[in-house]
Amino acid sequence: MTSALAKHRPVKVPAIKQGKSDPRYNPEPPRDGFVVRVTSKVLGGYPQTEDPWKRIFQESIGRDNLWVRADETKALIGDQFPESLMSRIVRYHLVDNTRGEPPLWDRGEVRRIDVEFENGVLRASVDLKTKDGLRGYRADLRGHVATKNGRVTRFDLVSKGEFLGRGRYTGNAPKGWFPFAVAFSLADGSDVADRIPPQGSRGWVAGYLK
Amino acid sequence: MLVCLLSLAVMAGDGFSEREFNQLHAELQPEKDAPWRSIPWKISLLEAQAVAAREGKPIFIWAMDGHPLGCT
Repeated sequence: MTSALAKHRPVKVPAIKQGKSDPRYNPEPPRDGFVVRVTSKVLGGYPQTEDPWKRIFQESIGRDNLWVRADETKALIGDQFPESLMSRIVRYHLVDNTRGEPPLWDRGEVRRIDVEFENGVLRASVDLKTKDGLRGYRADLRGHVATKNGRVTRFDLVSKGEFLGRGRYTGNAPKGWFPFAVAFSLADGSDVADRIPPQGSRGWVAGYLK
Repeated sequence: MLVCLLSLAVMAGDGFSEREFNQLHAELQPEKDAPWRSIPWKISLLEAQAVAAREGKPIFIWAMDGHPLGCT
């Protein structure tokens, strides 16, 4: 790259004028809602390796964004944790995306969600499992939501539990059940990645936001 | 799917402490000083082209199929 840059001789070119973008391919976060950064990590269970490439995947942090609707934002401000938001968190974000793009959870794979939310403190537990029993996640969630002047000012959640299995593009998972955590933090727009739509919304934003 | 609002007595999600919550939340944040973060990435090709045209610089494109945040 350094030698290619040394050979570069700039020529005058005009900026390409931006036309009207197609919202199907350029979805925007919900108006009057907000964006949450989602990160995930396998906390153990891998065999020891000297292979630096394997180690990268073993230690990697998965990333995604969670979109929250305007009505859900309103509910949070009223000290309610909407069922639709919890369902979106569970189905699209409690996934092992540390080694690639993961399978999400179908409705029928959500065996149980228990939720308590009071004075901005969330406590929940979930049990997820595929029909064939090859993939699952059972976890506890804990979190804090704060609001001020009609805005959500804190949305910190952590899910910690045991994960089982892998997806078509997330091979080489640890064997059996392994410790796995997901963290959620309010995005402030300072990272260019805050503008990237959630993985689960690809091709069907309305379905993701249901 | 079942969503049950339980009484505080049941204490769902009490499987880890506030201290562990804080530790895990910090541990799961991406490195702020990772070298790739020092690059002023644009997620729109047109935005990048506008900057390149203005500053007389070439465009470096990193692309793959799949979700842009996957495998980071």
